[in-house]
Amino acid sequence: MKKNRLSDSIWVFGDYRNYFQNRVTLQLIAKGKELAKELDKQLIAVVLGDQVHQYAMEYVAHGADVVVAGEDPGLMEYQVDTYTAVLARWVEAFKPQILLAGATSFGREFFPRLAKRLHTGLSADCVALDVEKDTGLLVQTTPSFGGELLAEVVTPDHKPQMATVHPGIFRELPHDPDAFGCIIYPEIGPLPEIRVKRMRTRPQQTHDIRLEDAAVVVAGGIGLGSKELFGMLSELADLLGGDVGATRPAVYAGWAEEERLLGQTGKNVRPKLLISVGTSGALQYTTGIQGAETIIAINRDPNAPFFKIADLGLVGDAVTVLPLLLDALRKRV
Amino acid sequence: MEIVVCIKQVPDVPTVRMDRERMTIIREGVESVINPLDYIALEAALELRQKAGGHVCIITMGPVQSEVALREALAVGADQAILLTDPDFAGADTLATSHVLARAIQKIEPFPDLILCGMQTTDSDTGHVGPQIAEELGLPQVCGVNEIHREGKFLVVKRLSDGFVDTVKVTLPTLLTVTKGLCPVRDLPLGALEAAFSTKDVLEWNMTDLDLKKEEVGFAGSATQVRRLRTPPPRGSGDIIEGPPDVLVGHLLRRLEALSILDEEDEKK
Ligand SMILES: Cc1cc2nc3c(=O)[nH]c(=O)nc-3n(C[C@H](O)[C@H](O)[C@H](O)COP(=O)(O)OP(=O)(O)OC[C@H]3O[C@@H](n4cnc5c(N)ncnc54)[C@H](O)[C@@H]3O)c2cc1C
Ligand SMILES: Cc1cc2nc3c(=O)[nH]c(=O)nc-3n(C[C@H](O)[C@H](O)[C@H](O)COP(=O)(O)OP(=O)(O)OC[C@H]3O[C@@H](n4cnc5c(N)ncnc54)[C@H](O)[C@@H]3O)c2cc1C
Repeated sequence: MKKNRLSDSIWVFGDYRNYFQNRVTLQLIAKGKELAKELDKQLIAVVLGDQVHQYAMEYVAHGADVVVAGEDPGLMEYQVDTYTAVLARWVEAFKPQILLAGATSFGREFFPRLAKRLHTGLSADCVALDVEKDTGLLVQTTPSFGGELLAEVVTPDHKPQMATVHPGIFRELPHDPDAFGCIIYPEIGPLPEIRVKRMRTRPQQTHDIRLEDAAVVVAGGIGLGSKELFGMLSELADLLGGDVGATRPAVYAGWAEEERLLGQTGKNVRPKLLISVGTSGALQYTTGIQGAETIIAINRDPNAPFFKIADLGLVGDAVTVLPLLLDALRKRV
Repeated sequence: MEIVVCIKQVPDVPTVRMDRERMTIIREGVESVINPLDYIALEAALELRQKAGGHVCIITMGPVQSEVALREALAVGADQAILLTDPDFAGADTLATSHVLARAIQKIEPFPDLILCGMQTTDSDTGHVGPQIAEELGLPQVCGVNEIHREGKFLVVKRLSDGFVDTVKVTLPTLLTVTKGLCPVRDLPLGALEAAFSTKDVLEWNMTDLDLKKEEVGFAGSATQVRRLRTPPPRGSGDIIEGPPDVLVGHLLRRLEALSILDEEDEKK
């Protein structure tokens, strides 16, 4: 029988402002629980806000053994200064072994500051987490050079071992309404003054939702030949619940905005599925997309280098294949 | 307004080689450039200087070769450049890097109103250094900024964060990390680089100048260690299908079903 211990455990920061942040938290609870089993520790979710009970319940239903919660009107806004103060205090009191957060915008702004205050190591945007057999250390695999290299990082002599983790890498556990766990509310302590005052916040327009977060990305290259054909990618993306990316020549041709550029000088995406049409597969482009789980390529040249990294390659002319594909999909979704 | 911009030299090409014994990147023979977002930070600093007066000082921690990056920044228009270099600074993680940079900023007189960093680099890409400098200096931070306006003793800045567009007001002194969309990057004026090499000085500070101890910096002062570098498993090429368009579309639809992106077609058993 495992003791219910707060100290020496694995902590996951509960990030919940929107659907996407909530999902990565649930993914981390699942992964953290796996690591916790291996290390014979407990998985603890920690959540801050003005009213967090519903999130705490959700985290228990998704596998957290314990939720450490802090409720205070002063914690309503996601503020790096206040969150760092509270979490640093609790980490010093309860001494977790491992502390994880999603590599969301907030996670990547908050965790470096927290790690510095705790004088410990942090790895960024990890794509794998494993326990090293002989040492019990957390091996944090982080991409660098735009995904060209993977570095295995450890924090041998400092605690907690901290990492932010790329969304969508791990699978969340199913919601279990019968799950049992405890929720505790430790003392929050004094909060620092707010130095970064929010004047206005609006949700992003759907068109500026981060391409990096899309589960499906449909990308087009100069091989599409015309703005009209390129435009069909938007419908394809809509039908599949995804977003559109482009190669540099396609951006230069004026078929897509600069924000949609993928690759070395543009964005890195790691969606579940990437469909790339009329792109040759230049290295400067493929560095930005090779993190995709599945890559489907459509190109009329059977020798296009891109086929070498595609999971499914279709040798065909986009002019005929795209309209046919759209027809078939419109009937199905 | 007194502004410090932190810049890092990064390899220009993705032809990265590594030193497997020391687990570090071999930088010799690889052309280096200023990290693209640091260029944007520099442009933003120059623009603020134009409106508000003051000085722009650039600092980098790196091997002596990084002086080139500082010269380039001087050529673009920075007023002062400081190279933080010492054999013991090598192998630093972000904890140790931010410590050296923060210590150097404390030594700069007068203490800056604004510190600018890139949101992240194109090489190790952690995005930690900005917030960690802010923490050590006890300053507020805003990350991922793509618009800056001055309002007296405050800055009003805009950034995208997790699906929200935030406009925030921050007190000075402060640290911002900047991202794309902030400033267009201008070309170097003709002859400016040569001039920067011959006329302007680059200050050089080492561990002793910064009153630092060996165990606080570089590899010794780091909490993380890179155990192993590897390349991602090569993506083997999968099935390549040739045939008429309807056959190709059929293959694609079946793959979408297998990935649960599309529901299985009912009629099909
Ligand atoms: C320093 C540097 C940085 C760069 N950074 C980037 C970057 O970040 N992102 C980026 O994308 N590029 C970048 N590039 C450019 C890059 O090298 C390539 O030139 C670019 O990616 C090629 O784009 P493409 O595949 O659209 O075009 P192409 O290479 O011209 O390929 C077009 C493909 O379409 C196929 N095709 C043609 N007609 C059809 C049709 N009717 N149906 C189906 N297929 C068809 C052709 O067979 C061909 O394979 C960079 C270059 C440099 C030097
Ligand atoms: C493969 C690999 C993986 C690594 N993984 C980790 C890791 O997981 N955790 C970790 O702590 N360290 C890690 N490091 C070490 C890290 O790269 C160094 O600490 C580096 O000096 C700064 O990190 P960065 O490039 O990620 O900077 P970022 O934090 O991405 O840089 C943001 C901004 O800070 C400023 N800045 C950064 N470095 C300097 C500098 N030297 N001089 C002046 N300004 C600067 C620039 O304005 C820059 O735009 C890794 C190194 C390698 C080679």
